Amino acid sequence: MTDGDLLRVFIVDDHALVRSGIRAELGGHVNVVGEADEAGAAVEMILERRPDVVLLDVHLPGGGGRAVLESVVPGAPDVAFLALSVSDAAEDVIDVIRAGARGYVTKTISGPELVDAIRRIADGDAVFSPRLAGFVLDAFADQGPGRTSTPSLDPELDQLTPRERQVLRLIARGYAYKEIALELGISTKTVESHVSAVLRKLQLTNRYQLTHWAHQRQIR
Amino acid sequence: MRPLRRSVEGEVLGGVCGGLAVRLGLRPRTLRIAAVVSIALGGLGLLLYTALWVLVPTSDESESIGARVLGDRRELQIVLALSTALLALVLALQIFGVSGVGVPMWSLLGASIGLLVVWRGASASETVRLREAVNAAPVFGTGRPVGWRRVALRALVGVGLVIFGVAEMSRVGSLSGAAFGVLVGTAAFAGGFLVLFAPWWVRTLRELATERRERVRAEERADMAAHIHDSVLQTLALVQKAAGDPHEVVRLARIQERELRHWLFDPAMLGRSGDRPGTLAAGAAAIEREIEDTYGVGLELIVVGDCPMDEAVTALLGACREAAVNAAKWSGAPTVSVFAEVESAQVSVFVRDLGRGFDPGAVPGDRQGIARSMVERMGRHGGRVTVTSAPGSGTEVELVLPRVPSGR
Repeated sequence: MTDGDLLRVFIVDDHALVRSGIRAELGGHVNVVGEADEAGAAVEMILERRPDVVLLDVHLPGGGGRAVLESVVPGAPDVAFLALSVSDAAEDVIDVIRAGARGYVTKTISGPELVDAIRRIADGDAVFSPRLAGFVLDAFADQGPGRTSTPSLDPELDQLTPRERQVLRLIARGYAYKEIALELGISTKTVESHVSAVLRKLQLTNRYQLTHWAHQRQIR
Repeated sequence: MRPLRRSVEGEVLGGVCGGLAVRLGLRPRTLRIAAVVSIALGGLGLLLYTALWVLVPTSDESESIGARVLGDRRELQIVLALSTALLALVLALQIFGVSGVGVPMWSLLGASIGLLVVWRGASASETVRLREAVNAAPVFGTGRPVGWRRVALRALVGVGLVIFGVAEMSRVGSLSGAAFGVLVGTAAFAGGFLVLFAPWWVRTLRELATERRERVRAEERADMAAHIHDSVLQTLALVQKAAGDPHEVVRLARIQERELRHWLFDPAMLGRSGDRPGTLAAGAAAIEREIEDTYGVGLELIVVGDCPMDEAVTALLGACREAAVNAAKWSGAPTVSVFAEVESAQVSVFVRDLGRGFDPGAVPGDRQGIARSMVERMGRHGGRVTVTSAPGSGTEVELVLPRVPSGR
């Protein structure tokens, strides 16, 4: 396989040590086309080099990962973003997802898992870490029958289907997509489409609880 | 004869006395005493002094303060507006027949207007000199050294106002009655007090605030340094020693990470429901700590929702802990996933590893015992345990506890 066939990946992280660590983990499985250590430079280089996937640190000088997303996504919708973080703060994670990242994983992820996640993101799928799945379940939790819930503007967007809930639960329990497919007796593609649907809801819902929840939740 | 110029060397206020002394060939001190006496006797001296201050340029400038203000429309407007206000005030006092209005009041008015002009029109260098004079602390001054004349001047003005105030307050009678006199007296007294003590007081306050801020900062730094030393540096030393043992390095890093995270974010967590002691989430977090510290495997804990601890939840967490210990000890997997979800009807916990797994039909006796104890714990509270495992494909323990509606 030549470099031309490999996925083109761009790394944005303010720590040189982390960048070189990620490079090492990715090995020869992808083609790293560039690195940046702050938001402004990242935006410029991403728009110029048009990578397939950007690995984006949530906390960055110059406005954070969110600033990069907001500047790049409108001009280059074909560039996919995978948020990479040590933070695990619900607020940060929800923020980058809402700004357009297609997935979120923690920096402790193993090399092969990261490569797998990059492929998935490049294919237009969503990548949820167990943590993110837990966040989403919590944020979209059903209000008990006794409690008054905020009237929903768009029930389609503001609620998860039982199937989506099942998929998220299995992700939170540590299941890989393949295992989920096996467990639920559906195809891996169907699992992926469920996760993508959840991502869409997460990005588009104007559910009041989501932001409120994320701010309340703080750090886990 | 040399033209009259205000002096800029050794001046007390405007340098008027110094200038006059040069012009008349007298000693400055003589004139100063004369000025103070004339001011004390009726205020005419004050009027004269400010008039000269405004009209006579200093020896190092070509234009007097008055001429400068006249040439600047903006400053002129300010001075005129404020003068009108002062005039109106004096006229009003006169209409109400207040005692003390008369020559002293008029000269006071004139002097005030003169000082207004000085305030707006003084040259840059004179402004600096005046500001220094005004800021000069009285007897208690602790800051930079100031000339004794400035201190004396401030003391003189302050004491004068205080004496005037006391005199006015103690004067009874007169047409308007004592009330107004007391008012004016009190104001003068307070003003005098301010003139005497304000600079010292302000400086003291400022010093106190600065000192407190610096102390707080130093304490924070010391706290942080102590903490980093106790935790991060110690761990790094241990990591260096254990460099040959990857398992131990990972364990140390994990413990340190959790500890540092806790320390960094703890204040923010206080308001969060999830980590209140006595809830399922807090209990699960304790299990996470224990497993990671004792067995050196990672535990990925995800809690959705939360509920208070009761006997049933305690049993559930006990079973969860057993399952997690089992996985950590026997599976050989580097991480164990724990997912807990609190719903309105039930609480479920899943403990999963991707380790070697086993055949639930043919388990060794010791593990059978553990499984049985989990089942018993859960059974007492109406819960159930399901163990799914196969050799080579990991193990998952599912714990489900129905929730009894307890009036919540």
